[in-house]
Amino acid sequence: MKNKFNVHPPQRTKFNVLIFIFLLFTVHYSLFTLYGCASQKENVYRKSKILMDTLVTITVVSSSKDSAEKAIDTAFSEIEKLEKLFNFFSPESELSLINKNAGISEVKVSQDTLDILDKTLYVSEKTEGAFDATIGPVITLYDFYKKVKPEDSSIKKKLSLVNYRYLMIDRNKSTAFLKKRGMHIDLGGISKGYAADKAVETLKRNRIHSGLVSVAGDIKAFGLKPDGRPWKIGIRNPRAKGQEDDIMATIELTDTAISTSGDYERSFINDGKRYHHLLNPRTGYPAEGCQSVSIITKECAFTDAFATGIFILGPEKGIKTLEKMGFDGVIVDSQGKVHTTPHIRGKVEFKRSS
Amino acid sequence: MNLKGLLNSTTIADRILLFILILLSLSGIIFIKEVLPKGHIVWIEVNGHPVYLLPIEKDRIVSVNGSEGNTIVEIKNHKVRITESPCDNKLCIQQGWIEKGSIVCLPNRVVVIVGTPEDELNKRVDAITG
Amino acid sequence: MQSQDKYRIALLSAYALALHGFESLLPTPIPWLRLGLANIITLTTLILYGIRAALMVTLIRVVLASLFTGTFLGPAFILSLGGGVISTLSMGIVSSLMPRLFGPVGLSLIGALFHNSAQLFLAYVIFIQRIEAILFISPVIIFLGTLTGSVNGIVSDMLIKNLKKADEKIQN
Repeated sequence: MKNKFNVHPPQRTKFNVLIFIFLLFTVHYSLFTLYGCASQKENVYRKSKILMDTLVTITVVSSSKDSAEKAIDTAFSEIEKLEKLFNFFSPESELSLINKNAGISEVKVSQDTLDILDKTLYVSEKTEGAFDATIGPVITLYDFYKKVKPEDSSIKKKLSLVNYRYLMIDRNKSTAFLKKRGMHIDLGGISKGYAADKAVETLKRNRIHSGLVSVAGDIKAFGLKPDGRPWKIGIRNPRAKGQEDDIMATIELTDTAISTSGDYERSFINDGKRYHHLLNPRTGYPAEGCQSVSIITKECAFTDAFATGIFILGPEKGIKTLEKMGFDGVIVDSQGKVHTTPHIRGKVEFKRSS
Repeated sequence: MNLKGLLNSTTIADRILLFILILLSLSGIIFIKEVLPKGHIVWIEVNGHPVYLLPIEKDRIVSVNGSEGNTIVEIKNHKVRITESPCDNKLCIQQGWIEKGSIVCLPNRVVVIVGTPEDELNKRVDAITG
Repeated sequence: MQSQDKYRIALLSAYALALHGFESLLPTPIPWLRLGLANIITLTTLILYGIRAALMVTLIRVVLASLFTGTFLGPAFILSLGGGVISTLSMGIVSSLMPRLFGPVGLSLIGALFHNSAQLFLAYVIFIQRIEAILFISPVIIFLGTLTGSVNGIVSDMLIKNLKKADEKIQN
């Protein structure tokens, strides 16, 4: 008996020690993973740069600062590339080549230029010409910095040059052609949104799975924030007082774009009348009926262009068009009344007017 | 291994020490979270690259070399403004003093941001359209 | 020191070294922050064989580990040595001055606190000469040290009880 007693306990001790070691590792490892999660969590990285004559801000979610910054810089250079193609003022841009050769000859263009021109024509058709990229000759008559209103006669003269149907693109030959001499394309109403789309594509190619690109007010969001929530976007109050960013509503978005066109952006007041940059291609004068139009759909090129087009169509026709397209929208009419598409109610959170 | 055995093997001093250490370290974490982000910083960026990181508490005037020339930024009484700029429209100067938010001078590629990086990221909204 | 004790110190040092090595295999988010598994052995040695044996085990562990990993006399070695020695001394002094006041858990907490404080101080002197960064991180590290310290203390307590039981049985 005594002999047996001598053998057993040390074995049990060994067994107990094994249990301790097992316990020790489970407890420590769970502590460790908790700690690891806390410190290796994904962070939000943000960088801003002035591109396309506006402030471009790119926000990404990543667990590494290096890869975040690398992806952001690659996206910035993608936008820079597009800026070179679409710049209205640079004589070497593809856009300028098309404009210079208006009524003369077809111009061979890159895939990006072809794409964006294709999209402008699509939006022009869907908005019955309310969005028209060939507005160039009329918009150059206005000077929003010097607050100069052009003569009625000069607007009338240039208006015959505005018609998107005179813009011909040939996908097979990759060419673009403006039929009438003196015509100008201005891509200001779509290029920012298009750039946001391309920047998001670039980020995704650099293995970023969540982020936010905003080219001025043209915003495209994808993925979720580190806290698992969608990105929260504020819609500016079109009649904001003071310098503070005054927001009239917020909306949470993921894998969606939003753009807003407002009569307050580039504008001046002459004889009590507000002159802004959203010109009606039929009249050559600033469109009336809206203070601001926000459009929400997948592609930022479309939110950008449709925001302009719907603004010019006015609130009633605008909401109808949006419903037909399956887009969401928020329109503030000239009386300050808010119109929305049916789907978006409940998604937009309006702030009480202060 | 049961909880009672565990409690019996610890002395009262053990438990008090554990309690004090957890209390002190947790309150330390909370204290630091509360205190640290308040030190506002003035970031000045040119073309997307930060050139100055200045505490807002200290009054000073700096000159920033932008793409068109020198922009003069003044920090005074916890406020920031742009006093001189080579740009045409001078919108940045018209914006006047700011305590929070940003001043952007598009032509000269100069961005002045007041706040902490955390501040920027924990804003009510992530971006503004319009 | 009896030869049996020498044998035990060698064995305990080997255990400590094994735990130290195992711990360094785990990826750590902050390079100089450790779970302090080896402290279980240090504490057990301290309670069973006294402060001299515990210091010996610590020194053997730190020196051998750094020789194995090729960091001997490097910054990581200095951090490891400083933390190890200070924590062993603090536990030893407390247990010899107030023998009945703290149990293994309390001693382990003291060891963890001094280990982390010493390493934070050394890190400040050697690497990061920014006091605000150290102050910012201290509560977090001390909090985590308290958690790992109490777990280590409980394990040491169980280990000591079982070793004593086994000892008694063998001596019977």
